Amino acid sequence: MNNWIINNFWIKVLSLILAVITWFYVNEELIREKQMAKQLYESSIVSQIQNPSYEKKPAK
Amino acid sequence: MDNYTTLAKMFTEICILWFAYYGILIFARGTRGVYVLRGIILITALFIITKLLGFEIINWIFTKIFALSVLAFLIIFQQEIRRGLANIGQRRWTIFFLKESEIINEITTACFLLSKRKIGLLIAIERETRLENYIESGVEIDAKVNSELLITIFTPNTPLHDGGIVVSGERIAASGCLFPLTQNPKVSATLGTRHRAALGLSEETDAIVVVVSEETGGVSVAIGGRLTHDLDRESLERVLNNLYRPDKKNSKKI
Repeated sequence: MNNWIINNFWIKVLSLILAVITWFYVNEELIREKQMAKQLYESSIVSQIQNPSYEKKPAK
Repeated sequence: MDNYTTLAKMFTEICILWFAYYGILIFARGTRGVYVLRGIILITALFIITKLLGFEIINWIFTKIFALSVLAFLIIFQQEIRRGLANIGQRRWTIFFLKESEIINEITTACFLLSKRKIGLLIAIERETRLENYIESGVEIDAKVNSELLITIFTPNTPLHDGGIVVSGERIAASGCLFPLTQNPKVSATLGTRHRAALGLSEETDAIVVVVSEETGGVSVAIGGRLTHDLDRESLERVLNNLYRPDKKNSKKI
């Protein structure tokens, strides 16, 4: 058990650090993407409410 | 309850990433790719730092470099990726079924038979660090570890007796392999090339390297850049048992 921890200790530490950084970075990117999608969706709804003729153009 | 699920997911995902990174680092450690990997880690660290500091121009350049580097990565690591994928399918899972004691017994028998006849021997036993580079430098054998075969290989005036053997898993991967010589200035000047090669390999990798001296017939083991001289059969078996099975409770360092 002791050897299992000690063997390649620094590589284990480095890979753990990289894993944590990657997880938080990707998580942040995903949250940002979701927020942007939500904002876009909301802004399109607002523009539709403010300008209802935008969607309903009379057919020629 | 929802919080616990989120935490569990986060923990599992980080563990998966940890395992993947560890596998990649261990795999790259024995190959030429380690220097490229260092460069990638450095560039990634710089990318994160510039992003945190808000250096938008530098960050934009890094983003473009990253986009190109995916293609470069595939080309540079073409061989390693192919080998790694092949290994996932073939090798690592068989490690649970290895008969270590049999392999150790075969190696020890060969060592002491050659030691009696004062015939030199150099065997590197692969552990976590891959020895692909060194295997490539020799002649591929891919045979079951067997004392008779080991003795035959190291018999003088045969084509494969020069260089070392790499034992990977339960197979003799290659013979006539070239190992790097130690550059340590503290090493005794009287030490021969075979012992220097054993030390050199043990400095660069976590392999266990067994050497038999041609001059004295002494059996030595090199690990982690340290050489233990003149082992008897029991000591060699004990050392190999302890080091070849790292999860064993009574393991100890030399």
